[in-house]
Amino acid sequence: MDILILLGLLTTGYVFGRIAEKRHFISIRAREEEYRDVLAFSARFPPPSAAPMTPVLVGGNVVVAVDYFKMTAAALRNLIGGRVTSFETLVERARREAILRMKQEARAHGATQIFNVKLETSSIGQGASGQSFSVEVYAYGTALLAGKAD
Amino acid sequence: MEYENRPPPEGINVSDQHPLVDFFWMLAAVALVATVLVVALSLGAGWLARQIPMAQENRWSDAYLAQRPVELSETALRKQRWLQDLADRLSPAMDLGPDTTIHVRYVEDDEVINAFATLGGNIVIYSGLLNSLDTENALAMVMAHEIAHIKHRDPITALGRGAAVALGLSAISGVSDSAMAQRIVGNVGMLTGLSFSRGQENAADQQAIEAMLAHYGHLNGAATLFEKLQAMGSGLMPEILATHPLTEKRIDRLARATDAQSDGEITALPDWLSTGY
Repeated sequence: MDILILLGLLTTGYVFGRIAEKRHFISIRAREEEYRDVLAFSARFPPPSAAPMTPVLVGGNVVVAVDYFKMTAAALRNLIGGRVTSFETLVERARREAILRMKQEARAHGATQIFNVKLETSSIGQGASGQSFSVEVYAYGTALLAGKAD
Repeated sequence: MEYENRPPPEGINVSDQHPLVDFFWMLAAVALVATVLVVALSLGAGWLARQIPMAQENRWSDAYLAQRPVELSETALRKQRWLQDLADRLSPAMDLGPDTTIHVRYVEDDEVINAFATLGGNIVIYSGLLNSLDTENALAMVMAHEIAHIKHRDPITALGRGAAVALGLSAISGVSDSAMAQRIVGNVGMLTGLSFSRGQENAADQQAIEAMLAHYGHLNGAATLFEKLQAMGSGLMPEILATHPLTEKRIDRLARATDAQSDGEITALPDWLSTGY
């Protein structure tokens, strides 16, 4: 009985997690193309030659849940060692999605450049035995609007 | 100066290894290590447990029983005495160790069709089992099987194994910090443990057959219980999940042993002992 519950949870996690991940990557690639004109830089300041501009804080936040299959695969990986590939794809999705949402906010302000872009990561929800249930990524930076504010 | 954000290259952070392939390799590796560990712990702990003198085991079980006095009715006492007498008749044929004495405990519970051997030479027989048997030979087969467990020191071995395996598995799954790994490792431990107890059951069956032959001179009627259990459908579990060997296999084994010695008189149980099948 125990084994049946376990298999049920694993299958559910695998099937739905896999579909969600595929769809998410397709959507990420499409929107990255769409927001290519909004530029993100890790440099703190724009080049000195740039015209005076107005800074606005923009950010994008995303939380992705870890499915049961990924959690189990990671738990097994913890015993053996090596690349935790099931989490690598998860964090990659979260990072790219967070940057996209930040760019979306910048475009809503009418900005095409974001400087000083930074990423924060944390895990949310500690389970009974310490496993985390979802990963949060927050991307933020300074968007520059054309023209000097009064 | 012209700047642009190029699309991030694919395939660096995301590996193209199929997650299921990865998963099954990891599962196989962990299961293999857990199996080796459980086998080693079981053999070691079982051997150590059997080094405990029978006299010490008796002291433990006496101390346990002293705290839990059992009140039996007059009829139940009479049945228990009869069962004890049956055990005493079978024991001489089984060559028990020096400090080993068999104590039969009768429990009135018609729902439970079971009997088991435990520490200190104690054998517990439920009224449910008595009522589902109609010959002394079938009951003697069960009794001889349980006496064989005690002769082989199976109860204390199971106790030692259980403790060592539980400790060992919680140690390796504890460091992985995940309920999941604990369940996987726990299931491996359970399956390996069951295969050990299947071995003990087979050995006890073998010993019981020898005792039956020594005492009655034939095996006629001995398989009745297993046939009834099978008719009730308790043999449906796949073998890997069952503690007792499949009843069909046990009947086969008994039938093979019986072939040569199937002629013999079946002894009936006294009327007052069992309500019959």
